Amino acid sequence: MSNEFNIKNIAKLASINLSEEEQDSLSNDLSIILEHVNALSDLKLNSQQQEIFIHPLEKELELQDDEVVESLTHDEAISNAPESKDGKFVVPPSME
Amino acid sequence: MSLKPTIGIETHIELNTNTKMFCRCAVVDTDEPNISLCPTCIGLPGALPVPNKKAIEFITLLALSTGCEITSKGMFHRKNYFYPDLPKNYQISQFDLPVGLNGELEIVIDENKDYIQIERVHMEEDTGKSSHSGSGRIESATSTALDFNRSGVPLVEIVTKPVISSSKQAVAYIEELRQLSIDLNISEGRLEKGNLRFDANISVALEDSNELGTKVEIKNMNSLRSLERAIDFEIQRQTKALEDGVEIVQETRHWDENKEVTSTMRSKEGSADYRYFSDPDLPNMFLSDEFIKEVETLMPLLPKAQREELMTTGLSLSQSNILSKSDDWIKKLYVKVFDQTKDSVASYNWITGELQGQMRKANIEVLPEWFNDDYLSEIIELIKSNKISFTSAKIILTEILTAETTPSKVAEQKNLFQENDSEKISEMINQIIKENQDIVDRIKSGEDKLVGFLVGQLMKQSNGSVNPGMAKELLLKELEG
Repeated sequence: MSNEFNIKNIAKLASINLSEEEQDSLSNDLSIILEHVNALSDLKLNSQQQEIFIHPLEKELELQDDEVVESLTHDEAISNAPESKDGKFVVPPSME
Repeated sequence: MSLKPTIGIETHIELNTNTKMFCRCAVVDTDEPNISLCPTCIGLPGALPVPNKKAIEFITLLALSTGCEITSKGMFHRKNYFYPDLPKNYQISQFDLPVGLNGELEIVIDENKDYIQIERVHMEEDTGKSSHSGSGRIESATSTALDFNRSGVPLVEIVTKPVISSSKQAVAYIEELRQLSIDLNISEGRLEKGNLRFDANISVALEDSNELGTKVEIKNMNSLRSLERAIDFEIQRQTKALEDGVEIVQETRHWDENKEVTSTMRSKEGSADYRYFSDPDLPNMFLSDEFIKEVETLMPLLPKAQREELMTTGLSLSQSNILSKSDDWIKKLYVKVFDQTKDSVASYNWITGELQGQMRKANIEVLPEWFNDDYLSEIIELIKSNKISFTSAKIILTEILTAETTPSKVAEQKNLFQENDSEKISEMINQIIKENQDIVDRIKSGEDKLVGFLVGQLMKQSNGSVNPGMAKELLLKELEG
């Protein structure tokens, strides 16, 4: 795994603005993290071990039946909205 | 320069479950905004998603019906993006371990079969709906209003391999997928309601090239007609650009329904833009053999098998295809009428032509209660045994669609039974000849066309009750003699 990355592109993907200083310091931190993670590639694993399925939760996914449960009323759902109009949440203009 | 287009299609199918994908809020079909919400589907902190069992059954059924390999060890990922229609700032989707992989769907164009390879079938959740206020144009909107009723509705995405080569194939593929989802009973399949939505990836390359050209994604096609037109437009645009030596830019383009053009929407994202990572709220999903077997028992007769069955009755591939994509009652009616008459062509023509045509014209959506399935068979038999004419049969059909009666009763009341007695018809012919001697003379001097006029007179005088084929034959004999 290569440790090369483009900190400007990462900032763009995360939609955050980084000063030159922040870019330098974060690049440094990220390099250390990547180096640490790279240690995994030194492990000698057979194909079965490589297939191990890792997830933070060591339990199987539970599924729920398709039965409606009443939840928030319209007023409750919208009560925290900083702005609302005609029953809808209103947010700053966004476009795709 | 000889160029070839290559198309891949991404389709989203909204499942017709009672509840949403990761919470138990009802799936609602209403204009009243924000009435079916809970902490999970509006992304409140601490809310935990739990998948809908029915939705997992439905996607497994779809994946099996398209011959996909089922990923027994799967997982959900977060697809991150900055857009307010999903308030969590990510969509729960699947990335490298989708439910289904490597499937295939048979499509029919006219009398030919074709096969569209499917890359993947994965499970995700729908977004809310945004509307933009201000001058009405999205660019100058002053605010965005959000309705989250649709947020979290189960959505299946089906992605084809880049194997489609024309707009016609693309339309046939969507028609087939739509019918499949209806027959599987996993979706309403109504395009106008957005139950089925599609984007197309289109590229154009040199005919003999092994590499694909630069891919352009087209969005906002809301109907089969716009899918067809958008693809045709885009192929033409890219072909012209390449011929003029202009480079194609990888981007997402928007289909403008009114102007019938595509235009740049945004530069295309790569998967890095979405920063996929496995959703820590959702443990891995294991689909056991037992579960898959259980789902298999729900498999109905698929459109492909329906076509094969229909063809054994004597219908052509395209006729079978049209019937397989018709409403259920039409398919059933065909089977019944064919069983009784053993005449596939007449059964097909009467049902898909005259019956549906008259119903459309009279704005009748469902057959009236008194309309007995046997009536069509009766009409077909009456025509075949020369007891009524085709024209009379149409009149009878109109009557039984609008009033509680039977074909024979209508024929009797309206005097529509044909006169097949040649002696009686000859008598009438002699009368007509007497009354129209001038016309007869003209026919004899070469004006053959006027025979039709005499037949018309005969039909008129007999109130249409004479068998016209027989009448013409006898008339000609009389004129020659």
